[in-house]
Amino acid sequence: METTTTGEPTPLTEPQQREATRLCVETGLILLQHGAESALVENLARRLALALGVPRAEVALLANAVVVTTLSEGHCITTVRRNEDRGINMHMVTEVQRAVLAAEAGALDLDGYRARLATIKPLRYPRWLTSVMVGLSCACFARLVGADWTSCAVALVAAGVAMAVRLQLVRLHFNPLVNFFVTAFVATSVAGQGAIYGIGDKPQVAMASCVLLLVPGYPLINSISDMVKGYINTGLARGMYAVLLSAGACAGILLAMSVWKVWVWL
Amino acid sequence: MNLLLGILQQMALAAVPAAGFGMLFNVPARVLWYCAAGGALGRGLRFALVEGAHLPVEWSTLLAAATVSLLGVAVAQRLRAHPKVFTVAAMIPMIPGVPLFKTLIAIAQIQQRGLSDALLSTAITQGLQALFIVAALAVGLAVPGLLFYRRRPVV
Repeated sequence: METTTTGEPTPLTEPQQREATRLCVETGLILLQHGAESALVENLARRLALALGVPRAEVALLANAVVVTTLSEGHCITTVRRNEDRGINMHMVTEVQRAVLAAEAGALDLDGYRARLATIKPLRYPRWLTSVMVGLSCACFARLVGADWTSCAVALVAAGVAMAVRLQLVRLHFNPLVNFFVTAFVATSVAGQGAIYGIGDKPQVAMASCVLLLVPGYPLINSISDMVKGYINTGLARGMYAVLLSAGACAGILLAMSVWKVWVWL
Repeated sequence: MNLLLGILQQMALAAVPAAGFGMLFNVPARVLWYCAAGGALGRGLRFALVEGAHLPVEWSTLLAAATVSLLGVAVAQRLRAHPKVFTVAAMIPMIPGVPLFKTLIAIAQIQQRGLSDALLSTAITQGLQALFIVAALAVGLAVPGLLFYRRRPVV
């Protein structure tokens, strides 16, 4: 950043301030879209503004929008971005944070930061690998509550198939609530065959474990964290959405249990 | 001795879901190891506190989550990434998924079959358990910010 002879940073021109505002709001938006908690979104957007030479910035978070105002030389610029959920992606959160840290260290100016932000592309693991790993995870959940190996294998297959279905539905841009409903139906249907044909000693544990891939753990934890840190509105919105997703999954479980006539949960 | 074996078994079985769900959250590959380690530590510590020290499960969860989070701060500063990037995945093995679904299924049953003491009691007790454990996890993860990093960012 240029400095005058007095050592004070040169104030930003209006186009520069406008650009800095846009970069701040884009940064906040990417973080919010990929599941960062509210405190982190606000903190990074404000720090970025300071790093880019804006003396003061304010960030307001709504359930589905970000608002950023920058103040410089007595002028305010305010801008809003609509937030669409892109699914949890910690790789994006990490990369954006590193870009902000680089800007703070003085390694990136306005143009440099914009270029860096444009290069960040979301990481996606291969779908088959995620399905296998999530299947294994649910088998471990079954083992943790004392299922035998055969029942664990049933949970593995049911959860793996369900995860593959879930990722396919994500790719086809289905509403997450529909997705959770269908996925829970598939998982319970597959694991239910274990109960029907008497595969394994604890088919009820397999049926309970194979739907654990549908517990919205991230939104639930983020919801409480937000509220603990004073972001009540985003916290309530995330919490409500987590409950809705669980209810969608629950409806899928109930439907599958009545179709196959296996009743195990209660 | 049995307790120690139990702890080791819990740790091994918790590491897999922590890393598996880390992949679902698209945690970068190198960081997945920290998810697995955090998951094993959290679940193992909770098991030790519940079975060994006979603490209630909610308080044990809080202590386990706080421990993982405090250690996570050191890792996060080295990785130059926010601790939540991997500590939330590490909490997944402790998430009360079964109580959560039991609550919702019990509520659906009350609507279908009418109110009974057994269903109402399941809905309320399981629901409260899910709520308290999730709250313990979230507050436990917030402990570094609440106690030590009050006016400055972790990373």
